[in-house]
Amino acid sequence: MSEKFRADFYQNFIEDDRWKYIVNGLGNTIKITLFAVLLGIALGFLVAIIRSTFEKTGKLKLLNLLCRVYLTVIRGTPVLIQLLLIYFVVFGSVRIDKSLVAILAFGINSGAYVAEIFRSGIMSIDNGQLEAGRSLGFNYSQTMIYIIMPQAFKNVLPALGNEFIVLLKETSVAGYIAIQDLTKGADIIRSRTYSAFMPLMAAAVIYLVMVMIFTYFVQRLERRLRSSDH
Amino acid sequence: MTTNNDALIQVQHLGKSFDRLDVLKDITVDIHKGDVVCVIGPSGSGKSTFLRCLNRLEEPSSGKIFFEGVDITDPKTDIDRHRQKMGMVFQQFNLFPHMTIMRNLTIAPMKLQGRSQREAEEEARKLLDRVGLGDRANSYPSQLSGGQKQRIAIVRALCMRPEVMLFDEPTSALDPEMVGEVLNVMRDLARERMTMVVVTHEMGFAREVATRVMFMDGGYFLEENAPAKFFANPRNERLKNFLSKVL
Ligand SMILES: Nc1ncnc2c1ncn2[C@@H]1O[C@H](COP(=O)(O)OP(=O)(O)OP(=O)(O)O)[C@@H](O)[C@H]1O
Ligand SMILES: [Mg+2]
Repeated sequence: MSEKFRADFYQNFIEDDRWKYIVNGLGNTIKITLFAVLLGIALGFLVAIIRSTFEKTGKLKLLNLLCRVYLTVIRGTPVLIQLLLIYFVVFGSVRIDKSLVAILAFGINSGAYVAEIFRSGIMSIDNGQLEAGRSLGFNYSQTMIYIIMPQAFKNVLPALGNEFIVLLKETSVAGYIAIQDLTKGADIIRSRTYSAFMPLMAAAVIYLVMVMIFTYFVQRLERRLRSSDH
Repeated sequence: MTTNNDALIQVQHLGKSFDRLDVLKDITVDIHKGDVVCVIGPSGSGKSTFLRCLNRLEEPSSGKIFFEGVDITDPKTDIDRHRQKMGMVFQQFNLFPHMTIMRNLTIAPMKLQGRSQREAEEEARKLLDRVGLGDRANSYPSQLSGGQKQRIAIVRALCMRPEVMLFDEPTSALDPEMVGEVLNVMRDLARERMTMVVVTHEMGFAREVATRVMFMDGGYFLEENAPAKFFANPRNERLKNFLSKVL
C-alpha cells in the first residue's frame, strides 16, 4: 500500500518535475483571485454607493438604473459564460494576456455580489445615524465615510468573506480559456499520468487549506472589530 | 437673501406635506436669542416635522426659514455650514456606536471646524465634567445607560458651539428614573441663556424652564404664551382639551 502510494506520488509530482504544474497553477489562481477581489471590491463599493444614495436621497437616478442592469445581468448568468464572452467576444480580436481577461471577468462578476452585500450593509444602518451626522454639519459623503461605512463594513464582513471564498473556488473554471490555474495544472498531470486521484486530491487540499487560512483571518478581524463595541 | 429682522430664526409661512398629507400648513414664528421655546401638542400633530424643518432634515414644501438672517430654504445656501450652528438632540440619542465617547464628541469639531485634537478634547472634557460624565470618555455608547447616552448626545451637539439647540422629545425614550438627569442638563443650558427649541411631553419642564410655550395641532400653532399664562389660562378649546388629558 505505502509502496504503491510512494510510486504514485513519485509519478504524479516528482517525475518530469510535474509538481511545477501545481505550484505555477497555484500562483495563477492566487494572482487572479487577488486582483479580481480588489476589482470586485472597488466596483461593488461604487455600485453600492450609487444604489444606496439613490435609495436614501433619490439622486443619481440614471446611474442607479445602469447599476441595476449590471446587477441583473451578472447575477442572472453563469460566470463561465461571462468569462467566455469576455475572452472570445469582447477581446476576441485583440491580443491580451489571458490572466487579465480572467481578472476582469471574475472581478466584474464578484463586483455584483459585493455591491449587494455592501448595499444591504449600508441600508441596515439606522437612518438616525445619517441624521445625526448631517445635523452636526457633515455633508452626505463625510457622513458616509466617517459614520455609515465603518459600521456597515463591520456588519457585512462575514458575508464579504464568504463571497471571496466563493470567488477563489470559482476561478477554477479559468482553464476554459486555457489558463493554467491550480485546477488546470492538476488536470494536466492527470492527463499525463492517467491517475486522477493524486493530482486532483492535491488541488482539492490546497483549495481547502487556502479557504481555511482565509476564514481564520476573517474571523480574527471580526473579533477585533467586535471587541471595540457592542 | 437676508432680512433685517433681528430674530435668530424666522419661520415664514412654513408648509410641509408628505405626498398628499399636509403636516405643516402655515407656520410663522420668530425665535430670538435666549428663547427657550417648548412645543407641545398631540401625537402626529407635526411637532417633529416642524423641528426637523428648522435644520432642513426635512425639506420644507413651502415658506421660508431664515437663520441669522440667511434664507436657509434657498437651495443655494450651504446648509451644512448652518447646521454646524444648530445642535440637534434626538429621541433615540443616535450616538455613533463604533466610536468612543471622546471620539463621538471630537470628530465633528475636528473635521468641520479645523480644531486640533488637543483643543477639541479639552473642550469635550470640560463639558463631560459638567454633565457628570467625566469618567466615561473612553467608554463606548453601548456601555452607557439611556440617560447617560442622552447627556452625551447633548454634549456632542454643544461641542460644535451652536447658536441654537433643537431637542425632539429628548426624554421620551428614557426610563422614568433617568428623565431627571437629562432635564437637569437642559435646565442648566437654559440658565446659561442657550437658545433652545424643545419638543416635549414634559409639562413640568415646560412650565418651569420655557420662556414661551407653543401648542401645535393640525399643522398650525394654535396658541402661544408665557408658560404661567399658557397653563393657567388656555384659551383655545383644543389646547384646553389637550391639557386636561396630560396634566
Ligand atoms: N417621512 C414621512 N413620510 C410620511 N409621513 C410622515 C413622515 N414623517 C412624518 N409623517 C407624518 O406626519 C405627521 C406628523 O408627524 P410628526 O412626527 O411631525 O408628529 P409629532 O407631532 O412629532 O408626533 P409625536 O408626538 O408622535 O412624535 C404624522 O401623521 C406622520 O405620520
Ligand atoms: Mg415627534
